[in-house]
Amino acid sequence: MISTSIFISAAISLVLLLLLTTSREDVEENAKGGSPGPGWRDSRDALQRPELVFRIFSREDREFILHMRSPRLQRIYQEERRKVALHWVQRTSREVSKIMRAHRLLSRESHNLDVGAEAKLFVQYLRLQLTCGLLVLLIKTFGPHALSDLAAHAGELYQRLGRALPDVVAANRIAASEDTATH
Amino acid sequence: MLTMAIWWLAISLEALLLVRGFQQKLFRHFPIFYLYILFVFIEEFLRFSVYRWYPSHYSQVYWVTQFLSLVIGSALIFEIYRVGLRRFPGTAKMARYLLLIVFGAVFAKTLANPSGTLFLWLAQSSVELERNLRIVQALAILTLVSVFLWYAIPFGRNLKGILFGYGLFVGMSIVQFTIWYYSLVDIGRFWSDAQAVSYLFGLALWASALWSIHAIPEPKPAMQLENDYEALVASTRTQLQRTLARLGWAVRL
Repeated sequence: MISTSIFISAAISLVLLLLLTTSREDVEENAKGGSPGPGWRDSRDALQRPELVFRIFSREDREFILHMRSPRLQRIYQEERRKVALHWVQRTSREVSKIMRAHRLLSRESHNLDVGAEAKLFVQYLRLQLTCGLLVLLIKTFGPHALSDLAAHAGELYQRLGRALPDVVAANRIAASEDTATH
Repeated sequence: MLTMAIWWLAISLEALLLVRGFQQKLFRHFPIFYLYILFVFIEEFLRFSVYRWYPSHYSQVYWVTQFLSLVIGSALIFEIYRVGLRRFPGTAKMARYLLLIVFGAVFAKTLANPSGTLFLWLAQSSVELERNLRIVQALAILTLVSVFLWYAIPFGRNLKGILFGYGLFVGMSIVQFTIWYYSLVDIGRFWSDAQAVSYLFGLALWASALWSIHAIPEPKPAMQLENDYEALVASTRTQLQRTLARLGWAVRL
C-alpha cells in the first residue's frame, strides 16, 4: 500500500515537474509575443541543417587529430567537441519543445481535436526528449563519439564471434563424431 | 479558545467573500463557487449552533453537512473546467477524455477490489468515505491542472485563486484523513487546528483573488492556415520525425 502510494506520488511529481517546466517556457514565450509567428518553422530548419550533425558527430576529425599524435591536442579536441555536441543536443531538445508548444497553442482552439492523434504526438515528443536526455548523459560521460564507439565495439565483437563460430561448430562436429566412433 | 477564534474568523472571511462577490457581480461568473461559499457559511452557523446547544447531535450534523459540501465542491471542479476552457474547445475535449479515463480507472479499481462493491469501498467508515471521495476530487483537479498547464490555458486571477484555494483544501483534507485513518501518529488536537488554519489560509487566498473582477486574458488568435487541425497534426508529426531522424544520424555516425 505504502509502496504504491510512493510510486503514484513519484509519478505525479514527475508529471507536475514536466508541466511546470513547460508552463515556464510558455510564460517566457508569451512574454516574447504569444502565438508562434509565421517564420517560426523556417528559423528552426535553419538551425538543424543535416551537415551540422554530420560535422559534429563525424569521426573524421577525431581520426585526423589522432594522426597528429599530440595528447594535448586530443584533450582539447575532446573537450571542445563534447561542448559542441552537448550544445547541439540541448538545442535540439529545446527545438522539440518549441514544436510541441506551437502545436499546443494552435490545437487548443481547434473544434475537431483528435485525442488519439494528440496522444501519439505526446508519445513521440516523450521519445524525443528521452533520446535527447540519454544523448546528453552519454556525451557527458563518454564523449561525443560514445555511441559510435560502442557500436563499433559491438560490431567488432560480433565479427570476432562470427570468425570464431565456424571453428567452434567444426570442433563440436569433430567431438561428436569421435564420441560416436568410440561407442 | 483558539478553535472559537478560528471558527469566527472563517465565518467573517466567508461573509466578506459573499459581500465582495455580490458587490463585484462575481457570482454571475462563478455561480457554483458562490453557492459553495454560501453553503459553507450556513453550514458553519449550523454546526456552531449544534456544537453549542446540542453537542450530542454534532457528529451526525457534521457528516451530513460535510457530505453535502463535498458534492457542491465536486460541482465546483466542473465550474473550473467550464469557465477555464470555454474558449478552448480542443482542450475541453482532451480534458473530458482524460477525466473519463481517471473516473474509469477509479471505477475499475472498485471492481477489482476483492472486498466488494463501489459502496463498500467508499463507505467502510465516514472518514474513509470522505478520504476516498477527496482523492477522486484531487485526481480530477490534478487532471485539469495538467491539461491547463500543457495547453498553456490562461487562468486569470479569479479562476487561479479558486483553483489553488480549493486544491489546497482538498490536499490538506487527504493528508488529514489518511493520517487519521491509518492512525500513523497521535495527531489529536494539533492536526485539527492545523487543518482549520490551512482552511483559513485558503479562504484568505480566495478573498484576495476574488476581491475584484479580473478578466481572463484573451489568447492571440491562431493563424488561419493552422486552423485546419489535420494539417497541423501532419505538420507537427513531420517536424518531430525529421528531428528524430537527425538524432538518429547523430547516434549512428
